[in-house]
Amino acid sequence: MSGRVGSPAKYRFEDRFLFIIVPLFVLDGILGIWGFHYHHLHPAGALAVFCATAQSSPIIAFIFIIGLYLAEEKDEFQKSVLVQSMLWAIGATLAVSTFWGSMEKYSQAPHMDIAWVQFLFCAVMIVAIGANRWRYR
Amino acid sequence: MECSPGNQAIRRFKFRCYASAALVVLTVFVATASFRLLHLHGVVAYFMAVLPALPILWALVAVGQYLAEEKDEFQRALHVQYLLWGIGGTLAVTTTWGYLEDFVQVPRLDLIYVYPIFWLFVAIAMPVVRRRYK
Repeated sequence: MSGRVGSPAKYRFEDRFLFIIVPLFVLDGILGIWGFHYHHLHPAGALAVFCATAQSSPIIAFIFIIGLYLAEEKDEFQKSVLVQSMLWAIGATLAVSTFWGSMEKYSQAPHMDIAWVQFLFCAVMIVAIGANRWRYR
Repeated sequence: MECSPGNQAIRRFKFRCYASAALVVLTVFVATASFRLLHLHGVVAYFMAVLPALPILWALVAVGQYLAEEKDEFQRALHVQYLLWGIGGTLAVTTTWGYLEDFVQVPRLDLIYVYPIFWLFVAIAMPVVRRRYK
């Protein structure tokens, strides 16, 4: 991010990230480390579904926040950089998951947990945003 | 996808998709048969394992080619929205399911299903997005 004045949509995106996503990540960390690793909690039934939803809430919130940003952003160039980055991330995520899934299915490659798809997507998107910004610098 | 009579980009996209779908069927058949009959292992096994993934990757490239070739900005924007809704739904489902696997021992969802889940959400998003612009 440059030191230039950003758009109102970008500021709103940053505020939402800071005040929604970050607290959700912190709560997830507390739940994961304190609850499951330290106290070895084994939730069952509805509580387990609630815990799973709580753990996945940062990525779901992130998707909504990105959607809101794309709807609010007036700068077509900024919007197109983000959209291009997301398209690269979609392509890479689907390619890697299909490739690895085929290897798991047919040649006993180590199992990759499906929850890792979100991290793969975010990692590729961050790289793609950097690459696109470098391309249009 | 709706196809206007003169839209070459979408015709090429459809052709690539149908060709890749046919190749997927063929390669899955070849891979399954060779694993069942020849009991492959080593490098050949890995090659045969990734063989069905190659036409699927081609379909992804076809999507990129379509977005690059499409001259109609509105159609391109619509397709981008379908894809973004598709990935949003996919990430929501895979992440929640992944944690459910940890907590409740629901059936394991293999990575190979990420691709069909994505296209399922794209298919759901298509009429919804189109309705917005009616």
